[in-house]
Amino acid sequence: MQAANDLGSKLILVCCGTGCLANGSMEVYQSLKKQLTDSEVTVKTFTKPTGCNGWCEKGPLVKIMPDDITYCQVKASDVPAIVEKTIKNGELLDRLLYRDPQTKKRVKSHHQIDFYKKQHKLALRNIGEIDPASIDDYVARDGYKALAKALQEMTPTGVVEEILAAGLRGRGGGGFPTGIKWRAAAEQAARPKYVICNGDEGDPGAFMDRSIMEGDPHTVVEGMIICAYAIGATRGFIYVRDEYSLAVTNLGIAIDSARRHGYLGNNILGSQLCFDIEIVRGGGAFVCGEETALMASIEGNVGEPRDKYVFPTEKGLWGQPTIINNVETWANVPVIINNGAEQFAALGTAGSKGTKVFSLVGKVVNTGLVEVPMGTTLRDIIFTIGGGIPGGRSFKAVQTGGPSGGCIPESRLDLQVDFDSLLEAGSMMGSGGIIVMDDRTCMVEIARYYVNFLAGESCGKCTPCREGIKALLDTLTAICHGQGREEDLLYLEEISQTMQDASLCALGRTAANPVLSTLRYFKAEYLTHIRDHRCPAGICRELTEFEIDPAACTGCGLCTKNCPVDAISGEKKLAHIIDQNKCIRCGECINHCRFNAVLVR
Amino acid sequence: MRIIIDEKPVEVEPGITILEAARQNDIDIPTLCYHEAFGGQGMCRMCMVEVKNGATSRLVASCTYPISEEIEVSTSTPAIARIRRNIIGLLYRRAPNSEFMQLLREQYKCPEVRLDVNQEENCILCRLCVKACEEMGSSAIAAVFRGTDKRIGTPYDDAATACIGCGACAQICPTGAIAMTESEDRRTIWNKDFALVRCQRCGQPVGTPEQLEYIASKSGLALEFGLCQECRRKQAAVKVSGYHR
Repeated sequence: MQAANDLGSKLILVCCGTGCLANGSMEVYQSLKKQLTDSEVTVKTFTKPTGCNGWCEKGPLVKIMPDDITYCQVKASDVPAIVEKTIKNGELLDRLLYRDPQTKKRVKSHHQIDFYKKQHKLALRNIGEIDPASIDDYVARDGYKALAKALQEMTPTGVVEEILAAGLRGRGGGGFPTGIKWRAAAEQAARPKYVICNGDEGDPGAFMDRSIMEGDPHTVVEGMIICAYAIGATRGFIYVRDEYSLAVTNLGIAIDSARRHGYLGNNILGSQLCFDIEIVRGGGAFVCGEETALMASIEGNVGEPRDKYVFPTEKGLWGQPTIINNVETWANVPVIINNGAEQFAALGTAGSKGTKVFSLVGKVVNTGLVEVPMGTTLRDIIFTIGGGIPGGRSFKAVQTGGPSGGCIPESRLDLQVDFDSLLEAGSMMGSGGIIVMDDRTCMVEIARYYVNFLAGESCGKCTPCREGIKALLDTLTAICHGQGREEDLLYLEEISQTMQDASLCALGRTAANPVLSTLRYFKAEYLTHIRDHRCPAGICRELTEFEIDPAACTGCGLCTKNCPVDAISGEKKLAHIIDQNKCIRCGECINHCRFNAVLVR
Repeated sequence: MRIIIDEKPVEVEPGITILEAARQNDIDIPTLCYHEAFGGQGMCRMCMVEVKNGATSRLVASCTYPISEEIEVSTSTPAIARIRRNIIGLLYRRAPNSEFMQLLREQYKCPEVRLDVNQEENCILCRLCVKACEEMGSSAIAAVFRGTDKRIGTPYDDAATACIGCGACAQICPTGAIAMTESEDRRTIWNKDFALVRCQRCGQPVGTPEQLEYIASKSGLALEFGLCQECRRKQAAVKVSGYHR
């Protein structure tokens, strides 16, 4: 972080996370670099591409330090103005500042925004602040300090004790206490031992691990080296989902530079520790996020799980003692070693310590990546940080934990999110996906959607998961098509129970969660489909009819314009009418109506 | 070491599975994907049992659970009966054409299947065929695709170069799902056509030339390919009896 020390200079951070890149932030970055070199700027500037700032809704983001200015939705065409006005003259560009939806005032820094105010960044501490390709940037923010501390001031047992005392639990979904895992592996006499980073994030809509691997790869590397020291491992693997090419690139750069700086290889930092890491690219199967399937995949076999009656800490990769932790878990390790277990354990709830990163997506104003202390309520995450539901619609449910998580209704919004409370509510933490749903969501169709996802992504090895998912999917599809019977609900519950009890791995054991949680909280909606042949949300086409409320319709004609089959007619400023024979129940009219005049019959 | 299975104390070697321990002691646990020759696969989940270890109790697959502590095992509880009934129901739903599954469905009293299912299917994906092929040393077939599309096949469903037409897969299949057809001089299996060697004496099929050569090369014995097992035995007996004068 040269700039911070260089008095009078400016540091310009351009978010180059995946979301911002897709919106043209690379052009913004290159244009800024070029124009700052070409034009006569008296002040010294450093321009850096960073990882994901999390506020993807408003990207591409450009931050200017030390002035603490955050510009939103910046385009390459804005760059000349940024250089001329802000960099040269210190003037703020109002139009690029965030406008607070409540006060309607422009806000200078992202630090003053609700989206960031309630966040507490540990795992994401460096992301958005450093160039992920620069080991110097990482080192300047206490990088590899924890490793040096572990090697020089702590015994391997001391490291394990510290992780135990911190109460860190695995961020990949299971929530198993990391310290207990490490202790079990440390106690094994067999050699060699392995350390694995699980970066096979595959939940639809989730990008927590991706952002960490892309934006701060060294924290993962450092966490793994510390574990290698604690348990006596010599070789590490980072298993990355194949689609994450930027993560693979940045991790590769990080491993290379860590080797050059003596953090990887033989006699790390002059100690006895010899450890190196290689990257393994996944083959694209969701189930390879399950640790035994992941290890089978590294071994070159088909990614199918095995029974875990003997833990990987005893017999893991190639039958050797193995520690496998998720990306976010690794990112927390240097923080715990640096700041001490006590400080980490002070955050969070009784059973879940520290913070959790969530990807907040779906029908929410501020989609993005957030990190909050464990125990933060769903309401705070969705409404304070997320800014609530867009388009004047109302909240219906929130789905947590990925495809085998559950849907939580409005009545449980004050739930303090941690590993145990989510399980109790019939959902799970999973890796931290939060998908917000509004009233235009059919809960039967949502259950069908997730089960359909799992039908393609189960490995298909054991009967309860493979055949159970098929039975659930067929039954849910029948209900969505208006062919449901009341006894189907009992059948869904019966099959779900056996899947939970008898499936081989966690994927199968949790695959029925979308069904069970929607049955628990939204049973009435199932019954409306079955008894009344109606889909109250207007999603299941066979069970939906739209009509226009003549009292509410202003005759604006927006529905007519958006109807793909010309089924809506009406005079300007007079109530419109839907021709049911032409209507294909696509829902474009209800989605576009600003006056809530389109009703689901 | 001593464990308890269905309230009966039994002495077992540490490390063997619950299923092995139960069978050694004549306690029956139903299985579909298990074969003594291959060990537990943990796939069909019919062999789920309840394991009590101190205060904790859980359901495990007995074919893959290695005994390392003094546990207490129950092989038939209401919860286990429910699992088995549902597994049979699900597999019947998958393979309604199989007489084997029809019979099991009756025995386990599974309810009607009302939704459209593939009426032609026989395979229950126990993978005993894959294991048999692997054990033969061929590995010509495998479980391919994933999720609900999982099925047994050769690479790209082509005639597999590794297949020697031995028919071990068809022989071990509990549901008769693997089609092996034989004509006068041909055997067809897994989309591959083989010549069929018949016994010179009685005319019974002996095998394919590929299979017989494979056995000869594996065993190092020059087998007399012209005869079936029975005729070969008879011939050997005649030979031996020829010495007795």
